[in-house]
Amino acid sequence: MPYQAEISRKNPGCFLFLVDQSESMEDPFAGGNGKKKAEELATILNKLIHNLSIRCAKSDSIYDYFHVGVLGYSEDSCKPALGGELSGRSLVPISELAGKPLRIEERTKQSDDGAGGVMEQTVKFPVWFDPYGKGGTPMCAALKDATKIVATWCQEHPQGFPPIVINITDGEATDGDLVAAARPLTAVSGEDGSALLFNIHLSSTAGPSIELPGDASKLPDQHAKALFDASSTLTPFMVARATELGLPAAENSRGFIFNAQPLHVIHFLDIGTRPANVRLR
Amino acid sequence: MNHAEAANECDIKVFSCPKSGNSAEEYEDAWALRQTRTPPTGGIRVAVADGATESSFAKLWAVLVAESYVRSEVTGAEFFERLAAARRLWRQRLAGRPLPWFASEKAEQGAFAAFLGVQIDAHNNRWTALAVGDCCLMQVDDVGKRMRVLKAFPLEKSSQFTMSPYLIGSRSNGEPPHERIQISKGSLRDGDMLLLATDAVAAWLLKQHENGRPLWKWLYRKLGTPESFAAMVAYGRKHGLRNDDFTLVRVIHHDSPVAAKER
Repeated sequence: MPYQAEISRKNPGCFLFLVDQSESMEDPFAGGNGKKKAEELATILNKLIHNLSIRCAKSDSIYDYFHVGVLGYSEDSCKPALGGELSGRSLVPISELAGKPLRIEERTKQSDDGAGGVMEQTVKFPVWFDPYGKGGTPMCAALKDATKIVATWCQEHPQGFPPIVINITDGEATDGDLVAAARPLTAVSGEDGSALLFNIHLSSTAGPSIELPGDASKLPDQHAKALFDASSTLTPFMVARATELGLPAAENSRGFIFNAQPLHVIHFLDIGTRPANVRLR
Repeated sequence: MNHAEAANECDIKVFSCPKSGNSAEEYEDAWALRQTRTPPTGGIRVAVADGATESSFAKLWAVLVAESYVRSEVTGAEFFERLAAARRLWRQRLAGRPLPWFASEKAEQGAFAAFLGVQIDAHNNRWTALAVGDCCLMQVDDVGKRMRVLKAFPLEKSSQFTMSPYLIGSRSNGEPPHERIQISKGSLRDGDMLLLATDAVAAWLLKQHENGRPLWKWLYRKLGTPESFAAMVAYGRKHGLRNDDFTLVRVIHHDSPVAAKER
């Protein structure tokens, strides 16, 4: 049975994010209040890295259950998009990523004061990624680069859980057929199965958000349909976990999300007992 | 592998080991045992707790909950209303500790643990169990060739175990709601075996039983030393035992110390 490998510090999992930094990402995001798609993307990516760090935090350290990379694609090229001390790195252990954000901002949030009231609390808000958008959308080049990175990962971790590549885009590739470009990526495999590709579609087209569909019938345009076609089917554990988290997942669900924040995606991999009574961020 | 023993009308042995690949310091289960002769709660109190992997400072919380139970005198749901001191201790141990942003935020969520406590009244041959989460009690009798499972509590089948059980939290709002608290009672006959186990080992023992390959007899007759427990774990790892921390408390009840001695 594939997709059964235990994720541990000795045998870590791998998340590789591909982020669209093309000019069209400067257009308004249909699912946000006047926000640009690039801003929404940065919010999603910062939250995902933040939540993944919290998930792996153990007492006063972080267990390296995952290695994480970010590739940005814009203009004519694709390149590692983490900045600061992590600049130029394709994959970074989660402990290092958590320890080296671009900056840590302080924000206030309202929380329960334990006596039925509400209090304002200052929280630390690390930022790894700022909005950016320029030039074309070389998504096929990004998928090609991702294929090389996950192939190397699978060679180095032959018994590990297959890498998960999460592409966040507005869906308009300018350098070819993304479905064809995705095939070599999802053909990369180790002993526990093939790499998985999930697509997060941030669109300027208004419409209800769609999460983990089993078919493309309700998708609003050809870009969404192409991204759906390129997306991997969820594993049985992911379907079970998604259902547990209240997402509309079924046996044939694909890793595709349209105009919604994919924050639950990082919980699709098992690293041990998760209390049911913790509210997921 | 750790191991402890206590003698009374009950023969009690405790076995534990950390998840493969982890150090002994990273073991996040806990167990506690106390014998008391003070009426009306005289008897033996034993508890196991399983700190959740996806929570911080979970070992400390598991220890505090297990110890609180064996030092308590209550056997019902009110036990969970009396965890204020344990929660205060958990907070105090973290207070003033300089933590990086992620550790601080994770600690804000609190620690979580599954819990099972059993009060055994050996003189009146009764037990009362209290549980939240997926630590399990199994009662097996010593009648017949294969031995009979009289009770599995709070989960009865291996398929009922999940990776996301409801657990007891260390924050002030961490008290389990009434419907999450499980209570059971039973009687004991001479030779009955009670097993208290954290989730992975409990699920595996029940699965072996469901598949017609029960280990009850072996647990009764052969499990006695840390080496024998290690051998069981090694066998289990080749036969479907999930990699996790393991804790197993085996209690064999005897009607009287004399009966215990004669066996």
